Amino acid sequence: MKKIYFTLLFAISLSSELILEITQGTEDPFRVALIKFNGDKNISNEINKIIKNNLNRSGEFKIFEDSDLLSIPLNESEIVFNDFKILNIDYLVMGKIVEEGLNLSVLYEIYDINMRKKVRTSSVFGIPNKNRQLGHYISDGIYEEITGIKGISTTKILYITENENFNLVIADADGENEQILLKSNEPIISPAWSPDSKKVAYVSFETGMAKVYIQDIATGNRELAIQNSYQISSPAWSPDGKFLSLTMYQDGNAEIYILNLKNKNLTRLTNHYSIDTESSWSPKGSKIIFTSGRSGSPQLYELDLRRFNAKPKRLTFEGNYNAKASYLPNDEGIIFVHRENKNFQIAIKYYDENFIRPLTNAQLDESPSISPNGNVIVYAIKDKGMGLLAGVTLSGAKFRLPAKIGSVREPSWSGFLR
Amino acid sequence: MFILRKNFNYLIVLIFLASCSSMNVTEEKVYSDNVKTVEASTSNIENINYETKAVFASATIYFEFDRSNLTSKSIQTLKSALNALIENSSINISLAGHADERGTREYNLALGQRRAEAVSDYLILNGIDKSRITVMSYGEERPAAFGQDEMSYAKNRRVEIN
Repeated sequence: MKKIYFTLLFAISLSSELILEITQGTEDPFRVALIKFNGDKNISNEINKIIKNNLNRSGEFKIFEDSDLLSIPLNESEIVFNDFKILNIDYLVMGKIVEEGLNLSVLYEIYDINMRKKVRTSSVFGIPNKNRQLGHYISDGIYEEITGIKGISTTKILYITENENFNLVIADADGENEQILLKSNEPIISPAWSPDSKKVAYVSFETGMAKVYIQDIATGNRELAIQNSYQISSPAWSPDGKFLSLTMYQDGNAEIYILNLKNKNLTRLTNHYSIDTESSWSPKGSKIIFTSGRSGSPQLYELDLRRFNAKPKRLTFEGNYNAKASYLPNDEGIIFVHRENKNFQIAIKYYDENFIRPLTNAQLDESPSISPNGNVIVYAIKDKGMGLLAGVTLSGAKFRLPAKIGSVREPSWSGFLR
Repeated sequence: MFILRKNFNYLIVLIFLASCSSMNVTEEKVYSDNVKTVEASTSNIENINYETKAVFASATIYFEFDRSNLTSKSIQTLKSALNALIENSSINISLAGHADERGTREYNLALGQRRAEAVSDYLILNGIDKSRITVMSYGEERPAAFGQDEMSYAKNRRVEIN
């Protein structure tokens, strides 16, 4: 009996390990020495591991730990720059954990090995039991200092899980620290963050019919976006948070509308006897991309919201299934689901290129959502019938998020939270 | 300022900082990420009486991939449902459209709706009053078969008449 118990524990701890399958990370990654932080061993083990996983997942780093190094300095005066230079290490990170009762803070420093000088000193103040958060803050500080791009370790993802219930779940960007926002016996689909990341919109079938709800994350207060008798789905927030585009089935057919969240006015955007759905706003809020079946198969179309009565412009011509698109944060292209030889893949198309670039190559990849810094796409995959979450960086590095209990799908990435 | 806090770590931190060359310390406070869990109360949607349901229990109409048009075979199935509706003018029905798991969820929700509408259109065209029919879609969220093969997919592309 005891034996079984231990095996079980081991299996659980294994499944919560991050599975890294970097197939083609950056050719020339930043080589970073991450020295075990001074202070409580358990805490530094936890925090160092979180930082290492976060940086590895970006595909842009190669991390050296204490056992990979020639010398392990405890403070600036002990740094032998040549010991790092000889290993072609670019940066050195060291830190100290400071406990003050229940409160924890970490002071960390980044050294540029080639320039032989310190480039950053930062202190992160924790709140009790938020060691993971500290690790994420430090990860973002390191990422930003070295790449010059804002980090995404402190962001969150929303997704749906299905076991005995359907759950709307919020988790850290590494898939850990899961918290349930909504439990239901009926399906939940299409979760979407408000731009300030304080609210979520989603579709719930709890009344027996698809309806869009808006829920406050911290208070749990929720309401129907629109109260009428029609089926409503596919919510997407405008970048200023004032509008929600959605799909309503007023005449039995899927059409896209814009809801003014303040006065609840509805403006109809599409009018076609075929399916129009999956709307998404451009970063500046001037365009809406959507999926339409008007050509006979699902294809992507764009509407210019600044032009009165503008006609939808078709964006995709390759393949017979292009759907569920969203814009890159810099509006230089779009990501979407693309079918190629019967396989559904995540693909990207840049405006200045006239071809589609597939980013994944499994059979049933779906629901791509891009990180706010535009570097990583999280999406849903099927592995032996089970739904899992995976990620791909635009540089081509792939990873999987930790396996969960039940089937996982429809990830949606928050904005910056830090 | 951090180093002015009164605690036993004061000295360590001071030494650590002193050992650094002069540089501003960027300070950050971790945000609170509290979440409230809500449980949805699901209403009972089975409001059709049992006797009526039995008449239509086996009425399921199947469709081709990404299609919502009725085939001659599905029209055969629909005819018996139509006759039952004509003979029992007191009963109402619900049409729930479904899709297989391939393709995106929202598109499949719309596709399921189109399939249910196609069945509804056929019944209305053949004299059934619109008020007797409720149309809805579950998209790919309620599969009838769970395999990842054409057999299972074919079973899932359906409209259930209840």
